[in-house]
Amino acid sequence: METYFLKAEDIFRFYDRISCDFELYVPVKIEIPSRVKCDYGFSLPGDDYLLKKYSPVRGAVSLDDNTKVSNGVNKEEIVFNEYRTIEPTRTFFTPAKEEICSYFEEETKKPKEKPLALCGIKNCDLFSLKIQDFVFLGGNEPDPLYEERRENALIISSDCTSFKEVCFCKAFDINPHVSEGFDINLSPLNDGYLVDVGSEKAKKIIESIKDILTPATAGQLSAREAKRDSVIKRLQGHLSHHKIPKKDTLQDIVLSGYNSQVWQEQVLTCVECAGCVFMCDTCHCFLLTDERSVENAKRLRIWDGCMFKNFAKVAGGANPLKMRYMRLRNRYLKKFDFFIDNLGIQACCGCGRCIEVCPGKIDIRYILRKLYEEKFLPTH
Amino acid sequence: MKKNFYQPIEAVVEDIIEETPTIKTLVLRPKSDFSFQTGQFIEMTVPGLGEAPFTPSSDPGIKEKIDVTIMNVGRVTSKLHNMNKGQIVGIRGPYGKGYSLDDFKRKDVLIVGGGVGLAPLRSLLFSLFSSIDNYNKVVLRYGARTPSDIVYKNALPEWAKKKKVDVVTTVDVGDSSWKGNVGLVTTILKDLPVDLKKAISVVCGPPIMMKFVTLKLLDLGFKPQDIYLSMEKNMSCGLGKCGHCRIGKYYACKDGPVFTYGQLKDIHDIWD
Repeated sequence: METYFLKAEDIFRFYDRISCDFELYVPVKIEIPSRVKCDYGFSLPGDDYLLKKYSPVRGAVSLDDNTKVSNGVNKEEIVFNEYRTIEPTRTFFTPAKEEICSYFEEETKKPKEKPLALCGIKNCDLFSLKIQDFVFLGGNEPDPLYEERRENALIISSDCTSFKEVCFCKAFDINPHVSEGFDINLSPLNDGYLVDVGSEKAKKIIESIKDILTPATAGQLSAREAKRDSVIKRLQGHLSHHKIPKKDTLQDIVLSGYNSQVWQEQVLTCVECAGCVFMCDTCHCFLLTDERSVENAKRLRIWDGCMFKNFAKVAGGANPLKMRYMRLRNRYLKKFDFFIDNLGIQACCGCGRCIEVCPGKIDIRYILRKLYEEKFLPTH
Repeated sequence: MKKNFYQPIEAVVEDIIEETPTIKTLVLRPKSDFSFQTGQFIEMTVPGLGEAPFTPSSDPGIKEKIDVTIMNVGRVTSKLHNMNKGQIVGIRGPYGKGYSLDDFKRKDVLIVGGGVGLAPLRSLLFSLFSSIDNYNKVVLRYGARTPSDIVYKNALPEWAKKKKVDVVTTVDVGDSSWKGNVGLVTTILKDLPVDLKKAISVVCGPPIMMKFVTLKLLDLGFKPQDIYLSMEKNMSCGLGKCGHCRIGKYYACKDGPVFTYGQLKDIHDIWD
């Protein structure tokens, strides 16, 4: 793989180049000046990041669409995100609510969407995209909207330089930096970035901005390794306090824990907001629903979630998931039984978004640990 | 852009047959080519209201028309019950795996239906009748709640007259005019004229009925892999994507809706 060095001051030229061909989204920080103190001494950042639409520098590209410019983010706001954003990456590929087709008449040719470029994607997000790809590109047929967006998108990933209290990717052997599945990767280093070229698509773009890049030196590459190792080491130190079971035990413990008390105990504080499923980057369930007008009725695809009471209810009234604890358990069975059986990987990337969003403080790390202990460390 | 498989095709409601006070059969004529295999299901749209999954009840050999037998239980089905001839509905599909007729060849085929569960089984019966020489015999056991809840009232005696076909019907609760069997469908599963060594069984009905029929069939000596069940969940997309119809490691829409009990027996709470 080719790796280059990009000086920090040239990052906007890099963004400008990308935004010529792509609808570019870049990370911005939401200021929450708080730190999360853990009782074992860690003090972890509490800041949150979002991806916002980038507006190109005037003159660098032709501005044919003024609204896009005015919607764009101010340059001063753009930062390097130390870890994943608040929102799951899937929102870009399957928005929460989207018109997917009209009724019977021929599809009117929709204006072609400008391909997406997503900057600041982390390795946990890339892991989740494997699940989304399996669902929307696999199955009986690929989903036409997802397929087009996904194939045309440019993924600009970056190394995590820190982690949140809820992050636990490494517990499932997912690194806080990427190794595959990206087009371009950025690793911050001193006063710039190492730029990895991960695909043919990326190669063409990089070729056109060679003037702002220099080949990475051996010293820069080993400095990056040292930084990556140090983040992993710190993360492992944090995770050792949570005792999260290893990924090869996950299917076993959710199946053997079917009748565990943990489901009923832990669901007590659930308010059925379904925040956990909507913030989850591997969740994918949706409902096809129709706009309530006979004239020009439209078919919509909206996110659905298995924590909702009527998720599995059938017209006749039967509901296999009628109790809250059944729905909580079902969520774990889908993630750690269904997907391991069907795809060979768990549908959890360790991003911790579900922990962060939950007003009931239901913690996937705790539930998995309990299930593990009940199976392997029974107390007498 | 590729064909959008979420988009339904138009079908005209050509006829409406009132089967029982709560069940109607809609005869649909699709406006473009549409065919299915027995046991597969379709998604049917009431424009502007929504979709629901149904398994056609007609002979898959007839291409120009599709019968869908519908019980009035929910939002979409009540609207479908209020439809008039000539109105337009949407259909898409067919989806899933149907009955594997190849596995039924030279066998005694026991079919056990409950209530409106006879609808997909009628489609299966038509398929079996059209090449009856391939099968050893067809034994139908059907139960309905009351005499007025029996679907296909006129067809049942006709089927009974066919060669190699044996039909017994029962009702849970009789009335003054009912001269036939009274009791749950499990009560007419005694002394079945089938040879267990070469028999398979097909069950479709409400979950509670399927549960007790399956237990009865296992008791009689049927092997789990020789009991075919129709597990109809709340499929929304029909394509193995939307996540609603999961049963263990399967999706009913993609891996079913017809499963053998052998596939499902180790999964928790399949009858709920």
